[in-house]
Amino acid sequence: MAGVELTQVHKAYGTTAVVKGISLTIASGEFISLLGPSGCGKTTTLRMIAGLETLDAGTISIGGDVVDGPSGHLPPEKRALGMVFQSYAVWPHKSVAENVAYPLLLQGRPRAEVARRVAEALDWVRLGSFAQRMPSQLSGGQLQRVAIARALVGSPRVLLLDEPLSNLDAALREELRGEIAALRARLGTTMIFVTHDQHEALALADRVAVMHQGVIEQIDTPERIYQSPSTPFVAGFVGGANRLEGRVEGRQFRCGAHTFVLPPGVAAVEGPSTLAVRAEELELGGEGPSLPLLARLFLGSATEYRFTLGDTVLRVVGPAREARPGESLTVSLRHARLYPR
Amino acid sequence: MSTRSTTVPLSPVGRGSGRGLTLTLSLALAFFFGLPLALLLFQARTAPRWTEVWFAPESLQALAGTLISSIGAALFAFTVAVPLALLIARTDLPLKNGLRAIFTLPAALPPFILGMGWVSLANPRAGLLNLLLGAGTFNIYGRLGIAFVLGTAGLPLVLLPTLAALSRIDSSLEEAARLSGASPVRALLSISLPLALPAALSGTALCFLFAASAFGVPYLLGVTASPPSPTLTTRIYGEILMGQGGLPRAVVLSLELLLLAALVLLGSRALAKRGEVRLSSGKGLSLRPMPLGRARLPLAATGVTLALVLVILPLLAVALTSVQPVWGQLTGLSAKHWSGVLSNPRTIDATLRSLGLAAAAAALVTTLGLGIASTKRRSLELLSGAPYAIPGTVLALALVIAFSRDVRFVLFDRVAFVLALGNTLWMLLVAYTVKHLAFGARNAADGLAQVDATLAEAARLSGASPRRAFFDATLPQLRAPLLAAFLVTFLTCVTELTLSVLLIPTGRDVLGTLLFELQSYADPGSAAVIACAFVLLVIALQLAQTLVTRRRQP
Repeated sequence: MAGVELTQVHKAYGTTAVVKGISLTIASGEFISLLGPSGCGKTTTLRMIAGLETLDAGTISIGGDVVDGPSGHLPPEKRALGMVFQSYAVWPHKSVAENVAYPLLLQGRPRAEVARRVAEALDWVRLGSFAQRMPSQLSGGQLQRVAIARALVGSPRVLLLDEPLSNLDAALREELRGEIAALRARLGTTMIFVTHDQHEALALADRVAVMHQGVIEQIDTPERIYQSPSTPFVAGFVGGANRLEGRVEGRQFRCGAHTFVLPPGVAAVEGPSTLAVRAEELELGGEGPSLPLLARLFLGSATEYRFTLGDTVLRVVGPAREARPGESLTVSLRHARLYPR
Repeated sequence: MSTRSTTVPLSPVGRGSGRGLTLTLSLALAFFFGLPLALLLFQARTAPRWTEVWFAPESLQALAGTLISSIGAALFAFTVAVPLALLIARTDLPLKNGLRAIFTLPAALPPFILGMGWVSLANPRAGLLNLLLGAGTFNIYGRLGIAFVLGTAGLPLVLLPTLAALSRIDSSLEEAARLSGASPVRALLSISLPLALPAALSGTALCFLFAASAFGVPYLLGVTASPPSPTLTTRIYGEILMGQGGLPRAVVLSLELLLLAALVLLGSRALAKRGEVRLSSGKGLSLRPMPLGRARLPLAATGVTLALVLVILPLLAVALTSVQPVWGQLTGLSAKHWSGVLSNPRTIDATLRSLGLAAAAAALVTTLGLGIASTKRRSLELLSGAPYAIPGTVLALALVIAFSRDVRFVLFDRVAFVLALGNTLWMLLVAYTVKHLAFGARNAADGLAQVDATLAEAARLSGASPRRAFFDATLPQLRAPLLAAFLVTFLTCVTELTLSVLLIPTGRDVLGTLLFELQSYADPGSAAVIACAFVLLVIALQLAQTLVTRRRQP
């Protein structure tokens, strides 16, 4: 187990900068999640920690040792890490046991120890009876569990997980998410988990780093990321807030021809601002603009109403009520966050 | 909407016209391929005692020649092609596209031309290398020389399938090995190589088969070697030339060669099946070349040197030979061979004949191949590939026996007269088409498998008949594979030698036989002119094909 420290890490492919000066300190035993949309640089960051990509500038150290920086690059096989890939990457020509044994064999462990630790690792992922199977006989969820056992068997300093659940269907994803949380509680390994799914990130991690266009927008506990997103992007990406561009004038927010009344408790600075408001923070009725209803979607526990607002769509979630598309309804703010520009 | 019920004529359930097509194609294949082969086997019944022929000293010598040169060729191709494929497919080797193009060039050239190049370079007395380095430094003649030239010519047979398998391995498989503690070399050897090995081994078996079936190169480098190094194919050729007396022995030796080919094919099947692992279909595959670091430039230099020595050097030697006034002497340059060959009516006749035959055979192969593939019957497709697996010398002998006037058999006398193809150019057309049918069927079947079936279904629902839907929606998607089938057949047939040399009507030439005759007996300079012209044609056609295919790609 070890901590990881990234200092001013840069990476570009050709002329496209992918990671633009990331600094990040991960404590030993911490579970951190890199969350962001595709192309935000989260996978590249993980692959640089793994040693599969080289840096253009900056340093990375693991357990206090510099593994990448101006002084040189330590190849991945010498970093003592474990990694789980989105595509499973279970070797199809080796049996389950052979897959899991591979890291131990390369460490030169005696045969008896290898056998014992392979069995142990397969028990962690509940595949004890599958040791002699070939990968072609396993389902996607089982393959990913083999990959997790293989990544953990050699007692890695850090476990890297690159979108490990994205190729699985919804039910399996839920199940494996729980298993990762249980394994983490049991082994206490430092884990870095890359995902584009906010639910995975919020549910699993001690801290979440939200990435956007090659920089970390916010790094915080899941609760604080959700409750107080520090930028409009984080507010939009985590919790799916509506984002409106406009001006604060007194206690009012003017967006095109429409005027919202800011509820008490929303800190406002006079001038151009971005307003971020989650669908459940809006309500029908009250004091606000009258907007034409675009569509009404029944979600089960609630109903979503979509309105046309200038050239964007405003989403409101609330209790079910009669309304026809085309009808104009009043929409008001219950809560919101303002980000001056 | 009307509720009145009308009677629409319904088609009977079933395959309909597909059945007629299958029947026609099967009968044609049976007549032009099955029947000759059956007659060959029948003929062997009346032949002298097999073991006597097989274990005669000169036959054992020929068998040893075939085995040594073919095993040598296969080993050489495997040893060069597999590391090369790993470097090209999995690493950031510089110039890898260029290397791939150069090393696959021999697939489009008759091996005979490479052989001519090496004769010009390493004839112990008059070869250019020996003129430069002293007589006798290199000697290309003999079994090892044959193995070397055929190994180079057969290299693409190993390289291409290995590359294809390697390019279907997701990079994360290697990366997982790196994270597990494996060095780059170890990751390549313990993960990528085993996954591609079945493809590489079956390619190597094909290379063995290719070498064992070769005729031109063993003739060129074996028959005049001292001591002579015969192979089964050159022995069979010799026996056939002896006429009626040698024919029974040729038949028995053909069966030996056929048996060898069948054993190798079955062996490679079993091997491929055992090690088979389902690789990614290529969907969502991510390929990240492994960095070679400091080894990058030395490895690239090695690859380029190998490409220059194995492929470019012999072709340059052929070019040089075509402008050397006297063979085997470095005495200035001259265009006399070029003007001589280009104005010779015999060359012009042979060229026109070859171009015509090759174009006709290529058109037939493409059309029949499309027909075979569109029946969607796996058995017919497999059967159409059989003639290609049979050594050309054996196929030619079977066709001679079945359709020649000169070789009559009491029982089948009437059949032979009904279709007296022997000693006509039609015989060559039949042979070329049957032999290369696999190209058409294979390309068309692969192409059809790629075409989305819903394209034709959309045409059907727009009102097209099955036939119309095929021509309007499916066929246009097959342009690239069909063009490739046509070109590959055309190029193979235009200088075809093994079949031509046994089936050509007396007193006429095709390019292959002319090349063979000039090189073997009279005039290497003129042979070199024809070879050069052919290499230029190959390169021009390949460029044209690349351009056409590239423009069609969206």
